[in-house]
Amino acid sequence: MVLPRSEMEFLQPESWAEALAVRAAYPEALPVAGGTDVMVELNFARRRPPALLDLGRVAGLADWGTEDGLLRLGAGVPYRRIVTELAGRAPGLAMAARTIGSAQIRNRGTVGGNLGSASPAGDALPPLLAAGALVELASVRGVRRVPVAGFCTGPKRSMLAPDELIAAVLLPPDAGPEQFAKVGTRNAMVIAVCSFALALRPVSRTVGTGIGSAAPTPVRAAAAEELLVAELPWADRAALPEPLVRRFGELVAAAASPIDDVRGTAAYRRHALGVLAGRAVRRAWAEHRRGGVRG
Amino acid sequence: MSPVLGAALDRVDGRAKVTGAARYSGELNLPNLAHAVLVGARVPSGRIIGIDCRQASVADGVLTVLTHLDLPRVAARPKLFPSLFGLTAHGQSFFPMQDDVVHYAGQPVAMVVADTVERAEHAATLVQVNYAETPSVTLLDQGRDQTYEPAKIFGGLLPGRNPTRGDPEAGLRDAAVRLDVTYRFAANHQNPIEPSTTTAVWDDLDRLTLHDATQGPTATQLSVAELLGLPPTMVRVVSHYVGGSFGAKALIWAHPTLAALAARRVGRPVRLVLSREQMFHSCGHREEQEQRIGLGADRDGRLGALRHDKTSLTSHYDDWAETSLEAPAVMYAAATYAGGYRLARGNTITPTFTRGPGAATGMFALESAMDELAYEIGVDPLELRLRNHTDVDPSTGNPWSSKGLRECYQRGAELFGWSGRDPRPGARRDGDWLVGTGMASAAYPVAAPMNPQRARARMYADGSAVVEAGISEFGTGALTAMTQVAADGLGLPFDRVRFVGGTTDLPNIAAAVGSAGSGATSSAVHLASTGLRDQLVGQAVADARSPLHNADPAGIVVRDGRMCLRDSPQTGETYVELLRRNHMPDVEALGVWQPTPPDGGGHGMFTFGAQFAEVAVDADLGLVRVRRLVGVFAPGRVLNRRTAHSQLMGGMLWGLGQALLEATRMDPHTGRWANASLADYLVPVNADVPDITIDTIEVPDSVVNPLGVKGVGEIGIVGTSAAIANAVHHATGRRIRHLPITVEDLL
Amino acid sequence: MRIDCVVNGEPRRADDVWAGESLLHVLRERLGLPGAKNACEQGECGSCTVYLDGKPVCACLVPAGQARGREVVTVEGLGDGDLHPVQRAFIAAGAVQCGFCTPGLIVAVHDLLARTPSPAEEEIREALAGNLCRCTGYEKILTAVRLAAGREHES
Repeated sequence: MVLPRSEMEFLQPESWAEALAVRAAYPEALPVAGGTDVMVELNFARRRPPALLDLGRVAGLADWGTEDGLLRLGAGVPYRRIVTELAGRAPGLAMAARTIGSAQIRNRGTVGGNLGSASPAGDALPPLLAAGALVELASVRGVRRVPVAGFCTGPKRSMLAPDELIAAVLLPPDAGPEQFAKVGTRNAMVIAVCSFALALRPVSRTVGTGIGSAAPTPVRAAAAEELLVAELPWADRAALPEPLVRRFGELVAAAASPIDDVRGTAAYRRHALGVLAGRAVRRAWAEHRRGGVRG
Repeated sequence: MSPVLGAALDRVDGRAKVTGAARYSGELNLPNLAHAVLVGARVPSGRIIGIDCRQASVADGVLTVLTHLDLPRVAARPKLFPSLFGLTAHGQSFFPMQDDVVHYAGQPVAMVVADTVERAEHAATLVQVNYAETPSVTLLDQGRDQTYEPAKIFGGLLPGRNPTRGDPEAGLRDAAVRLDVTYRFAANHQNPIEPSTTTAVWDDLDRLTLHDATQGPTATQLSVAELLGLPPTMVRVVSHYVGGSFGAKALIWAHPTLAALAARRVGRPVRLVLSREQMFHSCGHREEQEQRIGLGADRDGRLGALRHDKTSLTSHYDDWAETSLEAPAVMYAAATYAGGYRLARGNTITPTFTRGPGAATGMFALESAMDELAYEIGVDPLELRLRNHTDVDPSTGNPWSSKGLRECYQRGAELFGWSGRDPRPGARRDGDWLVGTGMASAAYPVAAPMNPQRARARMYADGSAVVEAGISEFGTGALTAMTQVAADGLGLPFDRVRFVGGTTDLPNIAAAVGSAGSGATSSAVHLASTGLRDQLVGQAVADARSPLHNADPAGIVVRDGRMCLRDSPQTGETYVELLRRNHMPDVEALGVWQPTPPDGGGHGMFTFGAQFAEVAVDADLGLVRVRRLVGVFAPGRVLNRRTAHSQLMGGMLWGLGQALLEATRMDPHTGRWANASLADYLVPVNADVPDITIDTIEVPDSVVNPLGVKGVGEIGIVGTSAAIANAVHHATGRRIRHLPITVEDLL
Repeated sequence: MRIDCVVNGEPRRADDVWAGESLLHVLRERLGLPGAKNACEQGECGSCTVYLDGKPVCACLVPAGQARGREVVTVEGLGDGDLHPVQRAFIAAGAVQCGFCTPGLIVAVHDLLARTPSPAEEEIREALAGNLCRCTGYEKILTAVRLAAGREHES
């Protein structure tokens, strides 16, 4: 039985505790933050939840700061503020945020929403993967932090429990050179054909990667990361050997499991990921050589 | 002509549009307004075996749910006919919800009317339709083995085969250089930003007023009246502001009639707005097609033969093909020629006009082939065009009404910096980018309506004037340009003239389609304005109290509302003085333009232009970015430089979209468009806009219409995509023979 | 539900608003402000751009309930009796054609110039990327922005 539309409720908690209580009481309520994904579903009558749970007024959800030595980014921080306020602390995420939708979308859309939608094309997710971010999930039962790598379990599916809300993402504080690039057929306002994020962490000599729009969920390229960890000339910051760049691109391409769709073929996506990966590592390494290590 | 004609004056509708005050067809504040929402077929082919409206009917706010079982039968089977001719102008010869047959996905199968739009939308989701689905044909490839040559296309107005010249088979056989290439085109949708909208209001006397987003108010009036079995006197159409069209609102589709039927059923005014997705199923599109070009030339590139054949998908019931062969057939002095259309029937709405109809695809094919020929024989592409330039219409031998193409080539080449181009493909590199340049010719027919075009001019005793004609303003700048034409004709300052359009109460003008709107309307407005001027001059000459008494009217000019002797300007008087002295509150004249016959009275009538493009192609990713476009056109007289240039620029950006972005992809498994949204059907955004230079060559034309206006709406798109594809070839060495060009093509 | 908010400086109220309704719908259908246009319903075209608490947003993607107690400014609220310089610039530059995208663009440009009085070319393109126009080819819109920014000599 479909409920008449007039019966949809609009739940509007003002505190996090209240939001969690409402979530527990109405697990079928659809959380909405910036509305940029949820409202499309409602406008197109693809979804008709019995209630909307508005997170827009929850105090503190749109704050960021440091906690436990990590950068804690509230789930409700809009992309615009990530671009303007966090380009230094989370450069890869800020680069990705800058390519998302339009200025109007960036004023409203949030990382929490991107995670909540769990779309394989979510542009914020590859840089979070590359950075090794954690997602903080909360419910009246308590709080847990899970690696973003495992958060998405399939297209539009995640490990979010019915009574949980996404509270924040947590990023390591020592961002090194980071890159994000995506292929789109037009110059703006485009859903990625594929995207790639890279994080170099010279202090720990580790590497992170994230691939978007080329698998059922955003994925890491673990073998490619291992290659760079082992073979980047960390010690002397020497020039990047071209064979290493090539091999890295190949391993990134191999990590994807793309499909053909209206935006592009699987073969193209695989090829383009290799190109994007090569360009990303060149740029990131050049930045590192210029001395761009951030503390 | 006074300086007001052609001047880059501000739009008269600018203020209403920048303040949000302009009211479009779905923005009327009507008491008791109800809302209709259409339910489209989910399958492309089959029969409806059951419709359950019970749940929808009892949903909150629902007033009625109509299906083929209870929608009144329309009074006539619609006949597809182009709206330019001033008659009924149905987009297809099928009206939905008359029986249980499904011809195409998205075909309306039910209509829900409710008190608010969200309640109607919700109830529409509750209508349960069961189908007996049958196999469908939704791609050209699926219908390829059953194509046929139509006797006629274009509403029966054009033959399915163009007149043959000479013996093209022999021409090809004997040619020193031969080319046989096939080009493919994805379907395109117009996607005006305003979705089609109709608000229907019946009054106490059973008269219908439709507020409709249309390119031709009279076309809506006559077409809806015919379907409802009403005399046109009972149907009034109002269409002041239309939020773009590009062909989507050129012909009359089912929704205005459905809105009228819904309003009659519920006894309230009804608004029907097509959703963006429904825009992909409800007002036609540029059909998926392929075109085969055969060129035969001598070693110098002079064409001896041109063969041009098109195969495309049409609906089950109409022989529609956009007229892609028309412009290419007359572009060059090919001694022999043959060309024809083949159609495949498919499960689609009848295709229709999309900006630059016919020429946008046909000239891509020809101009791509010409570039291939230029490389084949090692001649500069521009030089090849010049060698094949023709001073007469090669299909008839008649002279052109005007041409200006050589000037366009020359000016375009200068502006672009074409000379000295290194012809070698793949020779220029800029970082990750391969850079190339290309050019193409542009041509678009100058069409004229068949019926008389009328406008009325009225001057008041204070010397202000109102000029009226039943056109709609859908972005072209017609209200402004026609104010200029009227001011010029009357000899009044621009700000003393008001041009009014937008309803069928006004003198009849055919729908503004095929770039013919400015020619048709300006002719009627010019004749009305100069007619009124001449009437006033005649009155002054006859008036014993006038300083102009007994003067020769031919020696009288009017400036700023004052009539005076050309040779003795101090002798004269103002319109105001004349009218006041004679106690005349106003004076009026009707202007009637009987258009030029279709053959131009022994002239070829086309608009010409030249397009140049520079592109950069990411060598590793295949991404194409257009860096520069130069377009030079000869559109006859330009009525307002600013609005005309904006129209041309908009057209060129459409060409960029056609080249690189725009495609409606059919999912043959579901028989539905796979990307029916603005998120998935990509149109250019401002970040895609290259450096665009536009110029016009104003060639006098005394044949096409009184002011020599050939129109600017379409010519800008024509040739742009070919110039871009030719530049892509120059950049990469790859010849892409389909549109749009995708990233995969260039790896 | 009831929505109370401030629209174009005036306290406004809408009753019986459905929970899934967009701010755009409330503005157009309940508050008599059709300046913001409804064209794609998914944030792709920008023709519904309005200010929500001083930030330009796609009104079609704002649940109406989120506007409760907030401040909304639409194209109808930008002029102060007379045209705003951005509106004047759009007319003078010939940036208006069919007009359907115009109100959203005016709000977007108004915001851009309020934040960045002399935007660079790239900033203009980035700020207006979310406003589709099918008529103009955009060039005159960019001219209007430069004109409104007092840099007409560059256009």
